Order: sequence, then structure tokens, then C-alpha cells
Amino acid sequence: MFTTAVRQMRVAFSTVLGRPFSVPVVQGLVRDALATLEEFGTPGDDVGQLVDGPYADPTMRRELQTRALQRTARHLTTGAPYYRDRFAAAGVDPAGLTPETLLRLPVMTRAELVSRQRDLLCGRPYLSTRSTGSTGAPVEVWLSRQEITLWPALIALSLVLRGELTPDDHVQLSISSRATAAIQEDVELCGLVGAGCSVVGLVPPDEALDRLCESATVLNTYPSYLGLLVTAARRRGLGPDDFALHTVNAGGEVLSAALVAAAEATFGARINDAYGATEVLPVGGRFCTHRHLHPDPNMGYAETIDLETGAPAEPGRLGTLVVTPYHPYRECMPVLRYDTRDLVRAPAADEPPCELAATPGMSHILGKARDLLTTASGPVTPRDVVEVMDALPGVRWPVRFAAEEAGGRVRVTVPDDHTGGLSTGEIAGRFADHGIDAQVVVVPMGQEDARRLRPLRCDLLEQTFTRPVPTLVREFV
Amino acid sequence: MSRTAFLVLVTFCFALAAPLAAAAYFRWVRAARPAVGVFGTGDVFVMMGFVVVLPFAYLALPGWGLPTVLGLVFAGGLSVGYERVVTHRWLRRGLILGLLGADLAAWAAWRAGAAPLWFTAVNSVVVLLIAVSAANLSAQGGLRLRHAAWFTLGLAVYDLTFATAIPITQKLAAAIQGYPFAPSAGLRVGDLGAVIGMGDLLAYALFGVTAYKAYGRTGLRVALVVVAAFGALAPALSPLVIEAVSGHRPSLIPAQVFFGPGAFLGYLLLRRLGPERRMAEILGNPVNRPADRRARWLGPPAPAVAPAASVAPARPAEVRGPVRLS
Ligand SMILES: [Zn+2]
Repeated sequence: MFTTAVRQMRVAFSTVLGRPFSVPVVQGLVRDALATLEEFGTPGDDVGQLVDGPYADPTMRRELQTRALQRTARHLTTGAPYYRDRFAAAGVDPAGLTPETLLRLPVMTRAELVSRQRDLLCGRPYLSTRSTGSTGAPVEVWLSRQEITLWPALIALSLVLRGELTPDDHVQLSISSRATAAIQEDVELCGLVGAGCSVVGLVPPDEALDRLCESATVLNTYPSYLGLLVTAARRRGLGPDDFALHTVNAGGEVLSAALVAAAEATFGARINDAYGATEVLPVGGRFCTHRHLHPDPNMGYAETIDLETGAPAEPGRLGTLVVTPYHPYRECMPVLRYDTRDLVRAPAADEPPCELAATPGMSHILGKARDLLTTASGPVTPRDVVEVMDALPGVRWPVRFAAEEAGGRVRVTVPDDHTGGLSTGEIAGRFADHGIDAQVVVVPMGQEDARRLRPLRCDLLEQTFTRPVPTLVREFV
Repeated sequence: MSRTAFLVLVTFCFALAAPLAAAAYFRWVRAARPAVGVFGTGDVFVMMGFVVVLPFAYLALPGWGLPTVLGLVFAGGLSVGYERVVTHRWLRRGLILGLLGADLAAWAAWRAGAAPLWFTAVNSVVVLLIAVSAANLSAQGGLRLRHAAWFTLGLAVYDLTFATAIPITQKLAAAIQGYPFAPSAGLRVGDLGAVIGMGDLLAYALFGVTAYKAYGRTGLRVALVVVAAFGALAPALSPLVIEAVSGHRPSLIPAQVFFGPGAFLGYLLLRRLGPERRMAEILGNPVNRPADRRARWLGPPAPAVAPAASVAPARPAEVRGPVRLS
């Protein structure tokens, strides 16, 4: 109890004052949390304060944010001339940075991150992690040893205190092997918690299902791969009794309500929407019951920036999510106002409060900004289309289609075996039910062409010797 | 009434009152606990550290300093320990101030010529209350019987060392006599007197309450027998035995020298009943024992199969014998 109190104090100092975290201290707190659960079964009553962090307090947030931004700016400008020039060009004093003056700095694009990689380094690189490249050339981000040991410890602490991961759990990772940071983090945090961990990868879905049936209690994957698993499980007649899963975390793509319901029914597990992007690590987000995204205010500064004006989006308007991870959480290759191009809607002025209302929220992730369609009746987001297509009765997930703007309407091209047996008129009717004026074109095409229509992360399927190579991949062998 | 009979009776009553009252507190009062943290081995070491350092600190203080510090410590201890008993903050503060005020007043009256009974009685109540709540904060914070047993064994070694090799215990006993808020319980009636240290009471309360937590009523019964035999009778009667043998009567017998080994034996006895109960079982929360989680998700082990004699490790194809290339 005494050592726990000392550790808590040291972590609180780092959180509030921005002193570098001691990784062994955070790891010690994880052990303390596990010992607490072993003795008491649950954490004490004040655990909410501990897991939400000081930034969840609206009265302290502004002050803490300003200090965290200034601290981050100091780290960036002393570490990389590139950032010094950036501040100088914008005429912003890094020492006096505030959420308002931050707006004067230009957002950082993906192209800059790819081309200026070397200029952004402020620390000693240890491990590189890459985005899957589903939206263009893969982004490579270098992480320091401190970052890649600190993040899992912080995540493990939060998961243990929220009761989301226990030593009884066995986590199956069905994500791309290129997501080094995510895999390293999950393996490390399972080790800290004492949970089992299987790095299965994106293997043929039947093989992943066999592994799931054996033992896994938690599955981390992409929505499209989850779709493949649900489809395969249904084909094999598997149901909740065949699995020990209690949680599926699916992130990186748009996860539709229809797929959530289907996965819940098939696996008998809670399906969590997870937000995290390689570029803005370690800033993650939680989704409340109202399906808002609430980015973690302790680790970074999140903005919703209007797509047209570049100013903070007005309530109810569409914007792109721009994130500045704070120092000392992010230190090796930090980003400043990174434009994720993830579409979100600023909360409406009359938005009813949710259970996470203490931390600022925004709408669910609505897709990538470049896929936004402008129609005569208003903007149509990728999520709008996915929600309709995923909910067609009788479809096999992941559903393939292409959506584009044509003559003020949305034109949706659907492969003939992804219609769920519905006619073009019936599908158009479904869109109309959601207020979308769509022209639906059904085209006969092979699996490979359908795949090209809407490339998804599950297409990064890996081969194994256990099962015959699926037809999708066979032509490449 | 003979001196020895009085000593045995008073020691017996106080020694048993501590674990009984601690068990009653444990049964009816749930102490507050932090979000994260368990009273564990590290805290036992911190406690031992205090035990070792505090007497030196007490002796280093000027005459008026010791009662001032003790008064503040008592006020703080009672305030934290009885937060859940008297939930009304101002009422609790009032009661504590009243109690400590009575202690001071009784001491002043004794100094002015009144019988010492009143001061010793009031001060004993204060000391007992503190020992009971401190033991409960530890036990309800996760301290196990195993920890308590090792702690008392450590106290025995400490007591033996400091009573014989470095005679600080006698000095301390002399220093605290006659001050308000003395960290000892006991009674003084006429020329009869019996004193039992606060550390001793804390050890009995700690052992009793952790035994009760770990093994229920059986645990408490064993603890009471151990406290009665090794905490009250043995230290009270041993001067007589020593006098009979050596002809010299020792002025002070450190009780923990007897109680430490006795308590440890009691723990070894109780341990045979099975694993200690955790707070989770007492609070009705989900129980999570390390033995349960031997990779539950891996399923039952495969039946053992005797290796066939013909099975030899296969060698990779590349190294299998010389290859003639001609
Ligand atoms: Zn919300």
C-alpha cells in the first residue's frame, strides 16, 4: 500500500507536470492493480479518477492542455530544426503556445510525414512501425525504446483497472504483421497482465476460427477480417457456445452496426469499436454508448477541423480529426497537428450528454475524407454507405462495392454476388430509407475484381501450410 | 491481592480485549480503501522500520515534545480509523477531542494528587481504540495472517535485541511513564500496577483480526488461545520463574519474545486448514486465486503417452547423409 502510494504519486507527477515517466514504476502499478484484484476482487471506489486521469476534470483541463502543448512544443523545437522553422514561419512562440495560437500552425499531412521522416526525429529510434497502406503509401513511424515500453504499461494499467483484461484472458491478435507497434504493445501488455497471447496474424479465416474455438477470450482484429470470420463461422454452423470470447476489439476501418450485431450473435462477445492510428500513437479513443468518439485527453490534443475552412468545425459540421500527441508520451518521431483525414462531425450544440461527457467527444469515425461524396442533397460519408450495404439481408461480410458521385447522386457499383439477393431497386430503396439518393448498378464480376473495388485490410491475408491457400490468394502463388 | 495476581489479571484482560475488539470491528465495520493498493510484505517492512526508528525519535524529543507528538498521532489515528464508525465528520472530531481532552484532564488531576486509576483507565481506552483500528486498516487493506505472523516474529527478535543488547526498551518505558498520551495501556490502583505496551496490543489485535479474516471463528479462537498463553500468561509469570531460578527478578520482560514464536506456531497450525480467505470472499466480490488460473484457457492436459522406442528425432533433409554428386 505504501509503495503503491509512492508509485501513484510519481505517475501523477509525470501526468500533470510532464516529467518523463519511469516505466518500471508504471509496471509496478500494474502489479499493484493485479494484487488489488486478487485480494479484493475489484478496485476501490475511487478508481474512476485514476483511470480517467486529471484531464477528465473540465475545470483543470484548459490549464493542463495549455501546459502540455507548451511542453510538447518545447520538445519539438529543441529536438528538430524542422519544427523550429515551422513555428517561426507561422510566427508562433512555442513557449507561449495555447489551444488558440496552435490554430495558426499548419496541419501536418501524410505526405509530409512520409517525405520528411528524418527531419522529424527528436529521439533515438528503436522500432519502426508501418501503417498498412490501405489509404496510400504506408507511413513508417519510428519509436524509441521508452515509448514502446511505456505505452503497453499505461494501457495494461487502464485495462486491468477497467476490468477489461485479467490474467485469465487469452488474447488472439489477428492483425497485420506490419503493425509492429500494435503487436509489440499487445504482446507486452499481455505479459504485464499475465494473460496469454497468440499472434495469429491474418491467416485464412478458417484457421483463425479454429484457434478462436480452442481458447481465445479476447480477439483484436480489423472490421473487414471480423466480417470474414463471421461469414466463415456461419458457414460452419458455429455459435456462441463454440467460443470462449468475451470481447472483440475491431478498429482501423469503418465498423457497421449490422456487423456488430452479427458478430455479437455469432461469437456471444461484446464487440468494441477501437480507434487508433499509427501516425498519432499513443493517442487512442473510446466510444460511448451514443457511439461518439472520445479521444483520450490525457495523451494528446484532438481537434475537429472543418474540411473547407481549416478552422475548428462548427457544431454539427463535418471535419477531419487533427491530433497532437503530448510529450512525454510521444518523443522519438513526434507529430504536430497531424491531419488523420478521418472524417468526424463536431458535436451538435443540443447533443444529449453521454456517460463520457466529461471528456470532449465528436461523432463516430465516418470514413476517410477523400471518400466523402458531395451530392445534391448534401454530403454522404463512407460510413453512410457502409451502414446500408452491411445491413443488406443475406450479404456475406465484408461487403464489396464502390461508391462515387454521379450527377448529384451517389452511384453504387455492387458485384453481383454481394447484393444479398436483392434487386437494384431494392438496394436503392434501402439507401432511400437512410435519406440517400442512390443509383445502384449490379455488375457481374469475379472475386478478384470485387476485391479491387473496395480494398480492405483483410486482403493482406497471409499464407500458411496448415490449410490450402484460399482461391483469392492462389493466383499469386 | 498480590502484585502478581493483579498483573496477570490486568494483562490478561487487555491482551484479550485487543483481538476481540478488532474482530468485532472487522465484522461490523468496513474500512475505506484506496483505488489501488494492498497491504503487503512491503508495508510489513515499513511497519518494522517505524518500530525500529520511533523509540529513538521519542527519546530524542524534548520533554514536552513527546506528549505533543503522541497527541497529534493519536488524533490522526483515531480520525482515520473511525471514519466509517462515526461518519458525521464534526461529531467524530468532537468525540476525539473530548476523549483526548479527558486523557489530558485525568493526567493533570493525577499530577495534582488524584488517584492514578482514572488517567490509566482513560489512556488505556485511547490506546486500545487506536490498536484496534490500526489492525483493521491493515487487515481490511489486505494484510494476511502470514504477514502478521512474520511481523510478530520480527518484533520478537527486535524486542530481544533491544531489551538485552541495547537497553532502549527500559529507557523508553521509563520515558513514557508519567506523561499524557503514553503509548501503553494498563491500570494503577494504589501501589498495584500493570502496564502493557501499545506495540504489544497492536501485535495481538493484528494477529487476532488477520486470523479471524483468514479462517473465521476457528482462526479467532486459536488466536485468542495464543494471545492468552504467549501474550499474557507467559510474560506475566516469567519474572517469577526467573526469580525462582536465578534469585534476581527482572524489572521488564519483553512480551513479544514469547508472543512472536507462539503466534508463528499458531499460524503454522491454522495454515493446515487451507488457503487464507481474501477480502474478496468477505466482500462477496468475484474471487480470483492464483491456483485457479493455471492457463485455464489451454484446456485439460493431453493424456500422457509413452514414447515409442522406434521414434527417433528426424534430421532435416539437408544434413541426411553424404550426397554423391557424380
Ligand atoms: Zn459520448
